[in-house]
Amino acid sequence: MNRRSLLQGLSFSMLAAKLPGASSLYGQAEGPQAAPSRRIAANDRVNIGFIGPGSRGQELIRQLLRTPGVEIAAQCDVYEPRFAEVNEMVGKKVPAHRDYRELLQRKDIDAIFIATPPVFHASYAIAAMKSGRPVYCEKTIGFTQEDSQNVVDAVRKTGQVFQVGHQMRYASWIRDSIERVHQGEIGEPTQVYGYWHRSDNWRREAPNPSLEHLMNWRLYRESSGGLLEELGSHHIDIANWVFKERPQTILGASSIAVYHDGRTVGDNVQAVLGYSKGRRMFFSSITDNGLMADQLWIYGTEGSLQITLEDATFYKQTSKTITEASHSDVVQKGVATGASYSADSAMPYRGPGDRLQAKPGEDATLTACKSFVECVRSKQQPFANVEVGFGSAIACSTGRAAVYEERVAKIPQLPA
Amino acid sequence: MDTITLNPDAQLYCTTHPAMGTEYSLYLYAPSREQAAAIARPVFEEVDRVDGLLSNYQPGSELSRINREAFQHDVTTDPETFGFLATCLAWSERSRGAFDISVGRLMKAWKFFGASGAVPSQEELAAARADVGWEKIRLDRGQRTVRFLAAGIELDPGGVGKGYAVDRAVRVLRAKQAPAALLSAGSSTIYALGAPPGEAGWKVRVPFAGAGEDPISTVILRDTSLSTANLSEKNFVHDGHFYGAIMDPRTLRPVEGMAQVTAISPSATDSDALSNALFVSGPEDRALLLDGRQQDCALVIREKQCGQEKQFAAEYEAIRWPAEVANGQIAALANAKEKVKL
Repeated sequence: MNRRSLLQGLSFSMLAAKLPGASSLYGQAEGPQAAPSRRIAANDRVNIGFIGPGSRGQELIRQLLRTPGVEIAAQCDVYEPRFAEVNEMVGKKVPAHRDYRELLQRKDIDAIFIATPPVFHASYAIAAMKSGRPVYCEKTIGFTQEDSQNVVDAVRKTGQVFQVGHQMRYASWIRDSIERVHQGEIGEPTQVYGYWHRSDNWRREAPNPSLEHLMNWRLYRESSGGLLEELGSHHIDIANWVFKERPQTILGASSIAVYHDGRTVGDNVQAVLGYSKGRRMFFSSITDNGLMADQLWIYGTEGSLQITLEDATFYKQTSKTITEASHSDVVQKGVATGASYSADSAMPYRGPGDRLQAKPGEDATLTACKSFVECVRSKQQPFANVEVGFGSAIACSTGRAAVYEERVAKIPQLPA
Repeated sequence: MDTITLNPDAQLYCTTHPAMGTEYSLYLYAPSREQAAAIARPVFEEVDRVDGLLSNYQPGSELSRINREAFQHDVTTDPETFGFLATCLAWSERSRGAFDISVGRLMKAWKFFGASGAVPSQEELAAARADVGWEKIRLDRGQRTVRFLAAGIELDPGGVGKGYAVDRAVRVLRAKQAPAALLSAGSSTIYALGAPPGEAGWKVRVPFAGAGEDPISTVILRDTSLSTANLSEKNFVHDGHFYGAIMDPRTLRPVEGMAQVTAISPSATDSDALSNALFVSGPEDRALLLDGRQQDCALVIREKQCGQEKQFAAEYEAIRWPAEVANGQIAALANAKEKVKL
């Protein structure tokens, strides 16, 4: 495969063929024609069709099981051991399909969740919306630039409710703190610095070698944008949210420093994203580390904000004061000499910090699922809507070229 | 259950993992260090997942969400959490309230939550009374919802959470076809899967602090679990009186007169709950607790005050206990000061 075809994106069937067993199982064509879907009243049970209940998918199912008025009504996967795992979690046998088109043809499904590898997101999401169903789609909404544009077009054309899996938008402490940033709490935000440093090889155990690409799709360029896409997309989305726009450029770098195990995506990645007025976002992800570390810093002209997976803290620079000095003490008596160290001064740039008093943090994915179900009932577009999804996806699909070729790439903007 | 044969080249490996305020240890036989690591990783991931589900220290856990919301409205929860709560309530019913996960406020009143304890005021205890009681927890199986009937109910998984995590992690060991492994949650709950090569099972020693270095009993376990409840983890002395962190939810006070309970049951959730229920129960209820549970057994060590003030003798009660007990050693005297070092 040459670089051009890789970077422009492969056709769905080519990609499906790359994942052993997938082509004949997931199905290759566009989805079925619109299946008649019922109207959902405010108190009606919402029946979910779930495509791709792997590790992330099962986390979504777990949260859906905690969402009132929701039923996991059907599941679809090419890897059949998932079916039993889902049945156990749900506590009953959930009708299972190996082909997503069969699932979409069911008459008892009100909304679709998609948590497959991202190469399938766009085609499945578009088929689901054409079948008349609202869609919750894991990030990124598209693998290629064209994919992401097509998903936006489909939402605009069908008017379906569409939510992207940027659950950090639903974390109460992140939402509250970014609202404060928008109200001027740290002046004008100019930089976002995000890192997600893992402490593992990022590899899933494949039951046998023929399943390597299916299980470890994250590690291969044909099926994954690597750490930038899988982890960086969440942080890029927060930068887009803070700056209230999508990035214009991305500068990237990546290499394999440790895991020379056949993977073709880097085990470390760095990216600098350019926004208007010289504002920047920096992202780093590595796999060797003493602990899991996921943090975001938002720097402004009058302070900074630190966001973690559990809380948020504002820091303000201590204001400098100038007082009058005593001539007799300083000049006549002279100044004293002595030891200089004071523990409080060791990190003078780190002010005392104002811990955000957020409501006790419900799991952000649960809030995201509840919010989606509310949107399905009320037919409102979610907070993490398709344009939010476009913003991170377009940066990541463009970023692949930048990262592999270590250059600056221009990010296409969304036509109005 | 399928018998999984042990590879003749298998070696014994050990690895540890911090979780739930303790250190989990996994001993397992595997053909190589890499294969041992490949099994250990998902086992400990499962322990962490259960911690994230049940921790009352993590605000994002499902249990914390239920604690925050279940008085205001019915909380829909997932089948796993629902099943866990149903198991806990069944143990409360069976033990006549000796086992009770609604002791969150009581543990806080006695400062045993994130601290090592202090005697509460009468007002604090009176306030806790309204907020404790398993019968104030309503489960609706059809709707899969949880509801609290008192505003201050707080669930504390302390008496059963590690056992449940061990059970879930053992499922992973079985799914990974580990032929022989021993998983220990900081030694308070242990599961023995299969047996080491040439052995009938995994040997587990039951020590007793008042009885010196030697164990008071040694059991051989295979495909079963063992849990021990004693007061060594959290305790304090106030005005010369020893207070331990195992509460009697009915008196709102730490249990007195008990030293240690070790219970064996095929389910680690059950052995954990059973060891705590036996610790809190009186002699008649103790017998009832094991009634009809033919696979379960227990070694109960009580304290008996003897002679002078603050001098105690330990005496044991073995219920279907499968091994010998060193009676003479248990009778060794232990005074209140030594008990702190339990």
